[in-house]
Amino acid sequence: MNDDLLAGIANYFSIFILLTRPAGFIPKTILMQTTELLNTYFVDSGTWDEMYKDTTVREQYRGVVQFMQDLDVEELNRKEELARRLFMSQGITFTVYSSGEGIEKIFPFDIIPRIITAAEWKYIEEGIRQRLKALNHFLKDVYNDQFILKDGVVPVEMIYSCPHYLREMHNFPVPHDIYVHIAGIDLIRNSDGTFYILEDNLRTPSGVSYMLENREITKRIFPDLLPRNNVRSVTEYPNILHRNLVALSPRQIAHPNIVLLTPGIYNSAYFEHSTLARLMGVELVEGRDLVVSNHRVYMKTTSGLQQVDVIYRRVDDNFLDPVVFNPASMLGVAGIMSAYRKGNVAIVNAIGNGVADDKAIYTYVPAMIRYYLNEEPILKNVPTYHLDNVEERDYVFGSMDSMVIKKTNESGGYGMLMGHVASEDEILRYRVEILKNPREYIAQPIISLSSSPCYMHGKLQPRRVDLRPYALCGPDGIQIVPGGLTRVALREGSLVVNSSQGGGSKDTWVLADQLNK
Amino acid sequence: MLSRVADSLYWMSRYMERSDGILRMLKINYASSQDDIHEFSWKPVLQIFTYLEEKQADAIAHHSRAVLEYMVTDKENPNSVLNILTKARENARSVQDNITKELWQCLNEFYHTVRDERLVNWLHKEDPVTILDNLIKQGLLYYGTADITMARGDGYAFLNIGKFIERAVQSADILDIKFSDKNYDLSKTDTSYWKYLLMSISGYEIYLKTYRSGFDAKNVVEQIVLDENFPRSVNYSVQRLYIYFERLRNQRNAEGFQKLEFLIGKIRSRVKYSTTESIMKEGLHTYLSGLREELFGVAKTLDQYYFAYT
Repeated sequence: MNDDLLAGIANYFSIFILLTRPAGFIPKTILMQTTELLNTYFVDSGTWDEMYKDTTVREQYRGVVQFMQDLDVEELNRKEELARRLFMSQGITFTVYSSGEGIEKIFPFDIIPRIITAAEWKYIEEGIRQRLKALNHFLKDVYNDQFILKDGVVPVEMIYSCPHYLREMHNFPVPHDIYVHIAGIDLIRNSDGTFYILEDNLRTPSGVSYMLENREITKRIFPDLLPRNNVRSVTEYPNILHRNLVALSPRQIAHPNIVLLTPGIYNSAYFEHSTLARLMGVELVEGRDLVVSNHRVYMKTTSGLQQVDVIYRRVDDNFLDPVVFNPASMLGVAGIMSAYRKGNVAIVNAIGNGVADDKAIYTYVPAMIRYYLNEEPILKNVPTYHLDNVEERDYVFGSMDSMVIKKTNESGGYGMLMGHVASEDEILRYRVEILKNPREYIAQPIISLSSSPCYMHGKLQPRRVDLRPYALCGPDGIQIVPGGLTRVALREGSLVVNSSQGGGSKDTWVLADQLNK
Repeated sequence: MLSRVADSLYWMSRYMERSDGILRMLKINYASSQDDIHEFSWKPVLQIFTYLEEKQADAIAHHSRAVLEYMVTDKENPNSVLNILTKARENARSVQDNITKELWQCLNEFYHTVRDERLVNWLHKEDPVTILDNLIKQGLLYYGTADITMARGDGYAFLNIGKFIERAVQSADILDIKFSDKNYDLSKTDTSYWKYLLMSISGYEIYLKTYRSGFDAKNVVEQIVLDENFPRSVNYSVQRLYIYFERLRNQRNAEGFQKLEFLIGKIRSRVKYSTTESIMKEGLHTYLSGLREELFGVAKTLDQYYFAYT
């Protein structure tokens, strides 16, 4: 299973880390009382730091820094240990199976929250809302009238060459015209603090359970700190999602049957699936629990078959229906696609969304926003070069050492070349491959990521972060819970930020507007 | 309730009951081994709870620490507490949204305790009673948490069905093996032998209060099979099984319900209307194996009518 949380774009960090030059360290002093905790905090020059601005602690971080300074190292270490134990005993773990034996692993958690101001959030929220609206229009359009292709805004070849474009979705009205019910939009900040969209995850974005659990852990390890800092709550997420799922039921009945379809306990995101099912009070099912009869989906219960109305699936398109897609799939349900097309069951997210978060299509999202909404994009894209365009390709080939090359149809950090560390051989190999299939590759200039303080061995140290807020789209519009998942490259100088190689996460605070106090 | 979920709850519960049975058995037998270090043999315990060949069982039957290690932490022993808890937890994990968060955490913590690598060392060097007591307590926490937090729906019924089938089979097995060790000779009285048997299933104090005349093998049979107030007796377990099964009465699975009601009702009557005399007449071993067969029949029918999902 492709799990974008545990691998995914995390790899992208690695590139930026490398750019940091130890020689560029500038020691910082702060206006507040300097303690052991802070006096080793060195921000790399040319990097946006979430906590420091020049030599002062940014206002949004002052409450936390003050709180941390009042504790001694022993106390902080105890808190770190408490967090670890809470994750373990609550089973917030994923199991790595080696030689037939399961080993429980924790997705590493850093105790210092990542803090986003009310103004920053307002900007992010508007940008994501706008982007999601356009992407939804795009999906409806490419699977129906295809105006955007006819008008030449997005080249036809881009669509038909995309492996995630599914003909099975043609001319089929999805309920309420919503394709993307749940989106995880990845944001990064460059050296001047500007937010950029790195990736749109519109298929089965994961990680939201960590947004929720990280917050619960913070409540335990830092009592009173959240209300004192005026942090907005994230607990509404499952309720909003559940409301949206209920609203999608094709049968107008009081209690539609809603299920969350998981690949099963061996999936690395299983903890998330069970947590969401529990928080929403819906049934957690596996493919083998479901059966299709007469174009209706049923679940096998102890008192016979029961019709299912809405499926929040965490199984990829390709595995969903062995009759239509991958015939070897054991995770899906035979015939589910026909039930979907007949309108007898709602599936969340819609099938075929991959055409909109494809790495090559990504370049056209700003154009989509202008085309469908007649608005200027609020959030910027990272500049992306299409390698099937000769001019762009020549430019990229001329500056390979400052580029990252990505395969468009792969994720999880596979099929990537980091220009500045790659060997001559590797670069040559990629050039040959690119010339064979230029559509399968894109190139992006390497952007420096912002850094955020992490508690490490008794000291605060800057580590690179990204941000993934979660947007929910229902018949009543788009809602974005104020928060998200902050992923962090925990290991100093680490090249890869996969969870297996030192990547972790942080609680993400969005502060309320002072006026709302 | 999903058939797969019912199946997992049922097995989670059976495994938890089994681990409790094993731990109690180990604790008391260890105590007994300290009383009578030369004569004491772990063989009956190994016969009840492991798949060891006679030779293999003989090899460790007089080495308490080796038996403890094999029964608690050995990864190769499919019935070690470690492996049983791993299975219970895997089942719990796959139905996490159908048990309470408290119950899941409690089971998860128990699992991590048994997985702790230091445990092997402690079993060799520390006082085993303290260690086993601690593990038994974690099991009790599980029972209490299930009782206090679980909704009284179908899930709770399946939990209890699993628990009482397992317990009935276990009590019948323990009695059978312990008597086979004495060649089913009920006339012999060996005070400490029966005392430790009763203690291992927490029935010693009840025995003393019920039968004031000292140890008589017939009374032991009566308590473990027929006593309706002794929570580990076959009779008690079967009555409970019947009560929890009744809660599944439902129009939608009438066929399955009728089949099972018949089978469980049969066992229930059979135990209820037995006396020590009738059991002796039939032969203890025949009687107990008959019971076990019928209980397995119930499990098989449950599988067919309630758990089938693949």
